[in-house]
Amino acid sequence: MVMHPVLMIAIPLLSAFIMPLIKKAHRYFAFSILLLNTALSILLFAKVYNEGALYETIAGFSPPVGIYLAVDNLSALLAFLINIFATINFLTSRQDFRFSMLYLLGVAGATGIVLTGDIFNMFVFFEITAVASYALVASKKDRKATEGAIKYMILGSVGSVFMLVGIAIIYSQLKSLNLYDIAARISSMDPKMMWLSFSFLLTGIGVEAELFPLNGWVPDAYEGAESNISSFLSFGPSKASIYAIARLLIIFSMSRTYELALYLGIVTLLVGELAAFTQKNTKRMLAYSSIGQMGLILIAFSLMDKTSYAIPAAFFIIVSHASAKSALFLLSDKDGFGDMSSKYAGLAGVLSLIGMPPLAGFWGKWYLLMGVADEKIWAVAAIIIFSAVIEAIYFARYLYKNMEGKESSRNSIPAAVMVSISIVMGILPILYNMAGGVLNA
Amino acid sequence: MLELIFTALLVASFVTLFVKNGRVAAVISLIASLLPVAAIIDWGNEFGLKIFSFGLEKSMDFSIAGITMHFSVTALAWFFGVMIFFLIPPIMLFSYSFFEKNRGFFPFMLFLITAVFGILLASDFLTLFFFWELMAASSFILVYMGRDRKAIISYLSFSVLSAVLILTGIALIYSQNGTLLFSNVAFSADEVTVSAIILMIAGFAVKSALMPLHAWAPFVYSKADEPFVAFLSGGLSKMGYYGMFLMLFALPGAKILQQYFDSTVATYILALIGAISAFIGTLLAFMEDDLRKLLAYSSIAQLGYIAVGFGIGSSLAITGALFQAFNHAFFKSVLFLAAGAVAYRTGKWKISELGGVAYKMPFTFMAALFSIFALAAIPITSGFAAKWLLYEAAVSNKYIFITPIMLIASVGAFLYSFRILYGVFLGENRHDDIKEAPLPMVAGMFLLVMPLIIFLIFPGYMLDMMHSALVNAGIGTVSHTNYVISTGMASYNTIAVVVGMMIAMIPAFLIYVLRKHRNIDFKDNFLAGEPYEIYGHISMHAANNFYKPIEDVLMPYLRKGATSFYMALYNAMGRVSKTVRRIYTGLSQDYAIYVAVFLLIIMGWLIW
Amino acid sequence: MVDFLIKIAVIALYTTIAMLVGILFMGIGRKIVARVHNRVGPPVYQGFIDIAKLLTKKTNISHGWIYDLALLFSLTGIILTILFLPIGGVKLLGTEGDAFLVLYLLAIPALGFALGAGASGNPNAAIGVMRALVMMLSYELPFVITMIALMIYYDTSSIAQIVELQRARWAIMIPPFMLAAAVADMALQGMLMEAPFDIPTAPHEIASGPMAEFGGKHLGSLMLYKAGTIVAYTTLFVDLFLGGGVVMHDGSILSYIVNFAVWFLLILLIFTLSLLINASFPRFRIEQAFKFYWKYEALLAFISLIWVYLMVIS
Repeated sequence: MVMHPVLMIAIPLLSAFIMPLIKKAHRYFAFSILLLNTALSILLFAKVYNEGALYETIAGFSPPVGIYLAVDNLSALLAFLINIFATINFLTSRQDFRFSMLYLLGVAGATGIVLTGDIFNMFVFFEITAVASYALVASKKDRKATEGAIKYMILGSVGSVFMLVGIAIIYSQLKSLNLYDIAARISSMDPKMMWLSFSFLLTGIGVEAELFPLNGWVPDAYEGAESNISSFLSFGPSKASIYAIARLLIIFSMSRTYELALYLGIVTLLVGELAAFTQKNTKRMLAYSSIGQMGLILIAFSLMDKTSYAIPAAFFIIVSHASAKSALFLLSDKDGFGDMSSKYAGLAGVLSLIGMPPLAGFWGKWYLLMGVADEKIWAVAAIIIFSAVIEAIYFARYLYKNMEGKESSRNSIPAAVMVSISIVMGILPILYNMAGGVLNA
Repeated sequence: MLELIFTALLVASFVTLFVKNGRVAAVISLIASLLPVAAIIDWGNEFGLKIFSFGLEKSMDFSIAGITMHFSVTALAWFFGVMIFFLIPPIMLFSYSFFEKNRGFFPFMLFLITAVFGILLASDFLTLFFFWELMAASSFILVYMGRDRKAIISYLSFSVLSAVLILTGIALIYSQNGTLLFSNVAFSADEVTVSAIILMIAGFAVKSALMPLHAWAPFVYSKADEPFVAFLSGGLSKMGYYGMFLMLFALPGAKILQQYFDSTVATYILALIGAISAFIGTLLAFMEDDLRKLLAYSSIAQLGYIAVGFGIGSSLAITGALFQAFNHAFFKSVLFLAAGAVAYRTGKWKISELGGVAYKMPFTFMAALFSIFALAAIPITSGFAAKWLLYEAAVSNKYIFITPIMLIASVGAFLYSFRILYGVFLGENRHDDIKEAPLPMVAGMFLLVMPLIIFLIFPGYMLDMMHSALVNAGIGTVSHTNYVISTGMASYNTIAVVVGMMIAMIPAFLIYVLRKHRNIDFKDNFLAGEPYEIYGHISMHAANNFYKPIEDVLMPYLRKGATSFYMALYNAMGRVSKTVRRIYTGLSQDYAIYVAVFLLIIMGWLIW
Repeated sequence: MVDFLIKIAVIALYTTIAMLVGILFMGIGRKIVARVHNRVGPPVYQGFIDIAKLLTKKTNISHGWIYDLALLFSLTGIILTILFLPIGGVKLLGTEGDAFLVLYLLAIPALGFALGAGASGNPNAAIGVMRALVMMLSYELPFVITMIALMIYYDTSSIAQIVELQRARWAIMIPPFMLAAAVADMALQGMLMEAPFDIPTAPHEIASGPMAEFGGKHLGSLMLYKAGTIVAYTTLFVDLFLGGGVVMHDGSILSYIVNFAVWFLLILLIFTLSLLINASFPRFRIEQAFKFYWKYEALLAFISLIWVYLMVIS
């Protein structure tokens, strides 16, 4: 079989290192790699959808030496999303070959996080994507970018260390790094050790997943980076890591961890939305808003054990956020919707984020509130309502601010294409059926 | 067939998106907007408006990608459809002259119509909510084109508030019933269902600008394009009441509320809120100098009456409420369009800057005058019958607070009506260089005035039209013939009024005809023949601070209104937001400490 | 058809008499006020002289077609209102409508009048209309509350029915309605624009207010309208609180004459009362009038309404 999920990680990873050799054509080459990867992800998804979840061990080595992949519907879809957004985003790149190289590394890492079934591999991919991201943020040569990158790197390194500690604890107890194996035997762990490892892992991944209060780097890094890199950060590493947290929650499937995730999600949501509320700088505002949205995704994931709406809710919020917020970041290099496509991308993006049909955000909102109402968690419902209104207010202000500007972003067409994905996902809700969701009556 | 209408509307919407010329876009939109009208006329054969039929189906299940949307026409939806879709072709006619260039009004208006068509046809909550949000999104874009900060912010935030409230309600209903189909939902008097009903009614109340959720209306109504505002006030506000009717009577939420609270307190509060909206809206309206804001407050007031009717809940009251909704749809559209026509010619919105327009634009004035008669419920238009039914209902239910508030609000309507008539149309003629509005505008306005006159003489037809909606909801109807409505308390004979008026007009007419008069420009009279230019600096238009004396009395009580409450809330949130942002100090060492503290806290929380 | 013609004839007769009574009252009014002020005053038929003079003037000035609407609307509206009021127990069209209809019919002449005043282009006229409208807002609140009290008590909103139900006992005999009648009488003072609530026309102050620019047939018809309002408002009061002046119920010709006479005396009484108050009080400013009606009057009216409500539900 030609199609093997590891190709999706291996091809960009290897071609990233070829980049320095083909300086001139690097852009075309990288773009075709990304396109190929997207095609592969579609094939992978088709395969997983037809044949069920896929478990592959690479090259006969058993973990931790070999790579163990575990692909289910949701992860295949996420891999597809990351790759297609990466492809579209790449169209806006104007940087040199070093950018293409780092970008491919980052994409490979993010795809790896989503597809891997092994906790140590996950760590490795985290490192790959994180290092690539630090460098990408720093690639814009000004003070702000450097400052953002340094903060990102400091926190990211602390996070990696914590993550490694968590993995070490698990390995010392269970002598296994396979996620499914760990999940099956987690109850045999010493409870204190288990909680200890969970705390370390959550803190480690939480830095990348922009959870409060681990997300100090977010506003600075997003603001400092070039707008297409901010866009990459918002659909790539952050989405992969929030998915990693979801996997973590499934492994340590205890009501307490879900509860913790719920509280964490609520706090992140509130802090993000409130911080964005009066933020005047567009990119910082979008960054804070991303924090809020990550909180919302975490809330959705934290209801996984209780209601079947949780996963489709999280999936659609991820789609909507990945497409719309990335598009808005792309547009954020100029203040203003001067041309038709940036108008369209800006408006549709905002409408998707606040949950209006026919955009993906609508289904996210629909399933999340369905799930919350199913569980009758009144406080959460109230917080979601509150944050939705806050979000509407600052996005309305954002739209107003941009309406007046005559100039428009250079990235408007790719942004419009990105937002269109949100529309396609919104019109064809079949995709969440595939994501393991449930349908209405 | 039904899919065809949806598709045609969407295609028209898409096509007009790329038509630059406003006239062409208007013609396309006009033709497209006739499709739902045709559908309504066709369905009318079943529901009481027998004109012709081409056999359009009444229900449809539309499956896309695993989701099934259920559509079917109910008598209720049909009645609201009559009210809303008949508005649109005249508005499009008006827009033909109003928009020289297509700036985006036509495509999104058509999209909006599609959404409204979907809402009315929806027979499950998912479809309802989906199209509700489509409506919110497309109307937001239309508001967005008005380019006003307050309008954009308030409209989007209130739309989202409305959406999440409704969605929470729907989710709760789904969690109780396990179904989203209206026909399968069975309410029971438990607290989940009751809170779902209340949440949804609050959500719908946002769209119908019921106090205290009305704060968006003055900003939006005063800044968006007039034809859209005409539809927003005339048509879209009724969608909120459609939702309320659905919740309260079609799925008998009112009965559930009554069972749960063991009294009619919940619906009584709705009626009281409606009456207070009517009252405060009226007071705010006559103090307003911006014509569009005045009309906005007037809309809030007039829409309040509908809520009163729903709150009272007797067959009389609901008949009155639906009648009022119908009248309001038409007269308020005409008023907004007339305001648009005046602004189209003069470019002014402030009442104190206008004046004497009636002499130059007599037909616009006639249309506005008739609508004002309807608005003030003067019994030479159908406006009276609706309010009369509501008063009768309130008195026969012995509502001693609501009835006087409603009545006095209606008296207050005279005050702002005169403000419009005098300030804009009469008084000093300040515009010598303007012409009557273009023919399509005038035609559009007069088409919208027609129903007000038809249903003056035959209010029975209106009651026939809502008959099956009321019977299906188990409410019962008011006994009537074509021109006599009788309630338990009294009856109202429109023919007696019309014939009586003709008789009563004889002496006045004789005096008018028998004694000849000559016309003198009022300036000559007032200035005793002196040339006007000498006194050019004297304003002969008493329009600044027109109701100053009463404003001075009332303003201290009205200053602390809902709007200032929202502003205070907004500012407080701003302060909270600034405090929250202090967490992000920008120092890496602080962030590193956060990480460590976080680790310790969750570790502690998990282990102990 | 014959019935219809007879009905038309009766209507014509009654409205003519009502208007004549109104004009007479204008003269009586001036006479009474003059006597209170210790003047001689004009003769009681002065109203007829004035109106005849105005309607026969050769020079009639109009300021456009909207200005002419004042003439048409005001006279039409007031006659229409009188048609819907039972006069001395005779219901011309009284059974075809109710008290709410009458309230709104009364708005037709007022609005027409206001249109004409606005069209006259005189700022003083607009100020007068503003005051009249604010006055209307002021007195309507207590008045509608008392009206609602009656409707709730008699469980009908038809004025004809209310008159019928007062056969045994006039409403004013019932304790809460004594209070209500007192309130309504003060409201009547505002409706008739008599002092202390005469600021809308404000003689000697703003050149007779809304009528500043009127003359000839226009002013004549407005005087007819004024005469009509006196009859309409006093009759409304008599119908609501004093049983419409109906004392004989046997339906004979005599009963019609007697009832008519009683009605005449009652409205004269009410009008005289109003004139006496008018003659002895100075003028409220408009905001004072507003406060008076919305604070004290409305409170009293509301007390009577609650009282009636408690009586009805117990």
